[in-house]
Amino acid sequence: MVKIDLSQSNITDANNRIRECGQNGQDVEIINPDARHNIGVGLVDPIKVSIKGSAGYFCGGLSHGAHYEIEHNAGWAVGDNIYSGSVVVGGNAGAIAGVAIRGAEIVVRGNMGSRAGQVMKAGTLCCGGNAAFMAGYMMYGGRIIILGDAAEKLGSDMSAGEIFVGGKIKSLGSDTMVVDMEAGERDDVMEFLDRYKMKFSGEFTKVVNAGKKLRYANAEPRTRPQPFFVSSKSSNYWNPKVQEDIWIKGEVGRYRIRGYGASKPVPHLNDIAFVKDVSKLTTSPDDLKDINLKTTVGGRYGAKPISLSMPVMIAPMSFGALSRKVKIALARASRLSGISENTGEGGMLDEQRAEADQLIFQCLSGRLGWNVKDMQRADAIEIYISQGAKPGLGGQLMAKKVTPELAAIRGIPQGIDLRSPSRHPDVLGADDLVIKVEEFREVTGHKVPLGIKMGAGRVNDDIKIAYKDGFDFVELDGLQGSTGAASTEVLENVGIPTLSAVQEAIDGLKEIDAKDDMDLVMMGGIKDGVDVVKMLALGASCTSVGTSAIIAGGCIACMQCHVGSCPVGIATQDKEHEARYDLDLQAENMHRYFESLRWQIAAITRALGYDDVHKVGRDDLVALTPEAADITGLPYHPEYRSNPQPAIGLEVLSRKAG
Amino acid sequence: MALLNSEFSITATPDLQDDRSDIHFVPAPCQVACPVGTDAPSYIGYIWEGKNEEALESIMATNPFSAICGRVCDAPCEPACRRADSDGAIAIRNLKRYVLDTLGPGYALPPVAVTQEKTIAIVGAGPAGLTAAHDLAEAGYEVHVHEASNKLGGMMFWGIPRFRLPEGVVQQDIDRITGHCPGIKIHLKSALGEQVTLAELKQKHDAVLLSIGAFVGKKMEVPGEADPYVQDGVGFLYRINAGERPTLPETVLVIGGGDVSMDACRVAIRMPGVKNVKVIYRRDAEGMPARKEELQGAIDEGIEIVYNTQPVEVIDGKALRCIRTEMGEPGEDGRRRPVNVEGSEHDIECGLVIAAVGQKAECADLDESGLMEWDQVKTSFEGMVTKDPMVFGAGDGAFGGSTIVEAMHHGHRAAYYMKAYLQGNDKPLSYQTPYRTRRVPICNDPDWELNPRVHQQFHGLGQVPVDFPEIESTYNAEEAKSEAARCFRCDAETGSGDYTVGSRESIFAMARLSPFDTDKQVSILDKRLENRDDPFGEDHLPTLDDLVFLPANLSRLVIDPYRESCKTVTNLGAIKSVKMDIPFTVTGLDDAPSEIRESYAKAIAEHGAAYIGQKPIGGSAKWIQIVEGIANTSADGILFKADDAIAAGQVARASDNQPAGLLVNKANLEKAIPFALEQKLDFLLLDSSDGLPGLGGELAGAPDISILSQAVSQLRALNSEEEVDLIYFGGLRTGTDGAKILALGAKAITLGAAAALALGADVSTGEPVYQANLTAQERDQRSSNLLLAFNAESSMMARCTGKTNVQNLEPEDLRAFTLAVSRAARVPMAGSLNQH
Repeated sequence: MVKIDLSQSNITDANNRIRECGQNGQDVEIINPDARHNIGVGLVDPIKVSIKGSAGYFCGGLSHGAHYEIEHNAGWAVGDNIYSGSVVVGGNAGAIAGVAIRGAEIVVRGNMGSRAGQVMKAGTLCCGGNAAFMAGYMMYGGRIIILGDAAEKLGSDMSAGEIFVGGKIKSLGSDTMVVDMEAGERDDVMEFLDRYKMKFSGEFTKVVNAGKKLRYANAEPRTRPQPFFVSSKSSNYWNPKVQEDIWIKGEVGRYRIRGYGASKPVPHLNDIAFVKDVSKLTTSPDDLKDINLKTTVGGRYGAKPISLSMPVMIAPMSFGALSRKVKIALARASRLSGISENTGEGGMLDEQRAEADQLIFQCLSGRLGWNVKDMQRADAIEIYISQGAKPGLGGQLMAKKVTPELAAIRGIPQGIDLRSPSRHPDVLGADDLVIKVEEFREVTGHKVPLGIKMGAGRVNDDIKIAYKDGFDFVELDGLQGSTGAASTEVLENVGIPTLSAVQEAIDGLKEIDAKDDMDLVMMGGIKDGVDVVKMLALGASCTSVGTSAIIAGGCIACMQCHVGSCPVGIATQDKEHEARYDLDLQAENMHRYFESLRWQIAAITRALGYDDVHKVGRDDLVALTPEAADITGLPYHPEYRSNPQPAIGLEVLSRKAG
Repeated sequence: MALLNSEFSITATPDLQDDRSDIHFVPAPCQVACPVGTDAPSYIGYIWEGKNEEALESIMATNPFSAICGRVCDAPCEPACRRADSDGAIAIRNLKRYVLDTLGPGYALPPVAVTQEKTIAIVGAGPAGLTAAHDLAEAGYEVHVHEASNKLGGMMFWGIPRFRLPEGVVQQDIDRITGHCPGIKIHLKSALGEQVTLAELKQKHDAVLLSIGAFVGKKMEVPGEADPYVQDGVGFLYRINAGERPTLPETVLVIGGGDVSMDACRVAIRMPGVKNVKVIYRRDAEGMPARKEELQGAIDEGIEIVYNTQPVEVIDGKALRCIRTEMGEPGEDGRRRPVNVEGSEHDIECGLVIAAVGQKAECADLDESGLMEWDQVKTSFEGMVTKDPMVFGAGDGAFGGSTIVEAMHHGHRAAYYMKAYLQGNDKPLSYQTPYRTRRVPICNDPDWELNPRVHQQFHGLGQVPVDFPEIESTYNAEEAKSEAARCFRCDAETGSGDYTVGSRESIFAMARLSPFDTDKQVSILDKRLENRDDPFGEDHLPTLDDLVFLPANLSRLVIDPYRESCKTVTNLGAIKSVKMDIPFTVTGLDDAPSEIRESYAKAIAEHGAAYIGQKPIGGSAKWIQIVEGIANTSADGILFKADDAIAAGQVARASDNQPAGLLVNKANLEKAIPFALEQKLDFLLLDSSDGLPGLGGELAGAPDISILSQAVSQLRALNSEEEVDLIYFGGLRTGTDGAKILALGAKAITLGAAAALALGADVSTGEPVYQANLTAQERDQRSSNLLLAFNAESSMMARCTGKTNVQNLEPEDLRAFTLAVSRAARVPMAGSLNQH
């Protein structure tokens, strides 16, 4: 038994010590815990940790196999995301006890706060006293035992699992129902209670999902998209696309869904030109060897940054939206081209981990596929707040894609129309996020960069909060960012264009005199080296490509990703369709695409007169449209649209020189 | 006329219609793979639509031998098809056959008159010669075609067996050409060097095209190679196509792995006396040039393919001595060379050997004139001209064995350069295969992703093989449609203004390119550097599409739909109000058929909306009356036309408690607001389309959304924003549009055209016309669903912005991304936050 006195140690040192003990198989006793946050997080060895007092936020969180005993009370999110093991709280627990657990046993001898067991996948959460409102909210599996009373909206929108309540239920949540206990079920519950020496002699009420909202009642008729110009000319106001939309909404009674991002034209990097004419280059590969493209992301607080051979990352895209083969191909292409791959929402695949040199692991609200082991083998962690395609909405994965394999990795029931919550259970504001950041830093020993992914909205404000919350990097995604499935209304109408987003981000950071230390990774409609260099010139430190990489790997842009029958085997979980995807060939194609991207970035950088892509700046750009000029503040020079470009380029250059 | 024409085009390069300047069109891989640039995506699209005549036009536009190609083209389009890598290429060839079988026999093209003075001679009536003749005749030239045999068609007639290509099909295409081009004068049995000489042709005509073909089979060059035990492949096929049906020995060997070999072996198996046919090929299966489908056809007909085997000696009528090979290093052509395995000689028993190891051109007359080089008419591909500037060359005779469609490409090419020559243009622009598109809409077949390739029915040898019944049949209409639905339509513009067909193809190109191929990298980069047009431009009409909502992220919390439902209760009216559950009202159904009105009456009541019109809609639906005359006591609210009310100086309610307002348009807004405030009215209905109570105004085009911001700023200037509610009508197409209007300051939204369209109204005439194509239940469901969906959409927008009540949406939740809408709606620009 090793004793750690938290009045004598900071939490990082204490956690390092606990993990060391874990490796040595020694149990730990924590004295003077003083309700400190993040006690014992990220522990992956089966030792016993006794906490002699009360614990703060996330006690025992993101652990695997360890056993925690908290003498008194536990704060918010006790046992967050535990894979296996146990946490016993002698007193009361705060809100979201047992959030997102994947197999642990959490016992709270007193009362527990609201939303206990939110998005839990498996395991048992047991409460000796009363549970506050919305216990079992959006749970995907496992069981909750409440010996006392349950408050309002019990089990709201749970999609699987069981809740047993010994006392009174104030009200049931949506899509739940009371059913009789099955034979042997009471015995199982009693056996659990006996093990933890909890006494109960009354009757249980069993609550389960009612199955009314797991699937959309009626399927949306499948249509192929009309050419975008049909709907983007204001002269044709009641165009066929509008008529089709209204007709289909009349049929299904809800918004429509599709893949890809905003389809309407918005101001973009195409509306900006380089001051110098960079066309008709006579560049040999040798000329480009000395152009520096190397980029690092996430070194703000001394973690090992993501190291990229050029200012390009692969955007977060989930195994789920995409087939397994595509995720592996992306990982391989990222390695071959010296850039990074990102898991997106759906968890980490072993093959993906093996193929990618640098892999960013993304944490979403539903904590689908989220776990400590994969966190600890990731090269960076990214907290998803929202994405450009559908900011403000949770993820959506249609039932056809929720196969047994996919359900297993995500820890959810198969065959449901999976909707993730819109926001994190444990992040209700910027202050919570600070503590969440700390938890992740503790779990990963402060070794890997921690980023935040956001769809662009009030960027000018949000970026300041991200900076102050202590992130190493931001992935900021404009309106044009794509997805595998989202409401067309949100795709088209929520969020600001990527061009506006980068400008607001740069302006916002300037307004708080931020040091140039939080890397800004811009995404949403980046297609080639032209876009990358323009983005860097506008002030981004790096870019991220998603759709373009997928297209390079064979996507035909039919925008039917949500259907699940992708004809080329990309956006599908259907084995027959996935079999159509030639992993080796397409990984090569993606690699070639990235190498062409590299050539373009280097060639343009050189043509602009620099030896380092990070030296390009706003002076290298002019705006071609009044909108682009207004948004970015770049000089408006519509005459640059013509080819060859006018002599005015020289004037601008001399002005710049002067 | 003729003179006029030639005067004006004297040095111009002949026009080739090409649609690549259309930024919404990129030629599909199938079209690019086709030597004549067949617009396959368009004809496939037309077939799905059932427009076979349009499909036929698309097919025939570049291909005078469409009926023939529908059966026997080697179809390079199919391996190029992007679906080939998925679940099989689209059956582009058989779809062509389907159209030609359906419409071809009766299809004629109008005759083209001879308008040019100069004349042309063409030697050889194969696909190259006749294609050139066709193009030149279409351009108004008189063309004299000299053919050595007694039939037109060249290899198409003499080289392809009838079970693949019936004689009638060849005749169909040829008749169509000769009917269309009376300027083509045919001279059969007119062989060069026998009935006619080059010197004569040069003297009689202004240009000559030599498309003499390659009819002489090459030899295996092994000992014992002599009649009757060895025959050459083309010669064998020629005799069969002339009608011979010889009884052959029991076992026949066919040497070679090309298309001639495939045809020869399949002919042999059909001949009397034959029991076994084997194909002997020196490379492996991968190296075999024959079209895979023909190979499979041969195998299906019982022919054995012996790979990696090379003949060494023919042993008279008994056997062929062969040696085994292995695949060695690649040769100059990039194909791996077969290498003999020492000591592996063995005999394969046979009674006849057919050597299909290549063919060549021969012509003594041309040898004499020095135009031959080895076994080809020496011709430059660029220019298609021989060393004699008035003599051109094309086809197999000039460039060696090729396919029909390649020969047609030669024909088009040669005709192009000959026209330039005849017009005195000695430096024409380089010929480029033209790529056209008919801009056929992409098919909307829900099963396009799922349909498997439909295989055409294969009959093989048939009941009486020696009669050469056709080996396969084409699709029926249903099969053709199912197959056509599978097309990815790589040519068509995508649904995304961001990932357009052009940008998708640039990315594809980047992904298929070596980074060291600098020339191509530069050309791709240059294409990407071409600036797009201003997507908005000076005359851009501001619409709600140019506004976006700001999502909640960190500065504000997003709302979980599951956790907090969004409130939509709307009390419409600043003083007295109409109580509604949702902020939507419906209008424009006063004169709609009673079935439509009944459905909406139910839906409006069900969802707690209201109807705005001159007449009540019935049932228990709330009604806000547009008053013509006097207010109705049963109306839940009343609206007077602003001009009338202002003229009358007052508003006459039917009862004191009746909420009342004005119907306002842009012209009377300024006066209506102070009047409404003075009269203590409850609401103003802003008609941005200036059309109520009808829907004609709304359907006429985009509404003028600025009426709302004007009303809001006028009220704000009077410090009276809370004193009268605004209802907005005009151009609302989604619940999101509704949410934007709420954010801009309205309290409720009025749907007109959208309500009509949800019930399938035809709006093409400018007023909705309802069709009798829905059941009462469907109408009820649809009208209810529309309100349900729109209300849910506006709630979704509110939640995304972090609001739990749609009435809490504010202008601050919006940003503009065009200057026009920033001005019209008075919303700041995203990015700069400038207010215009």
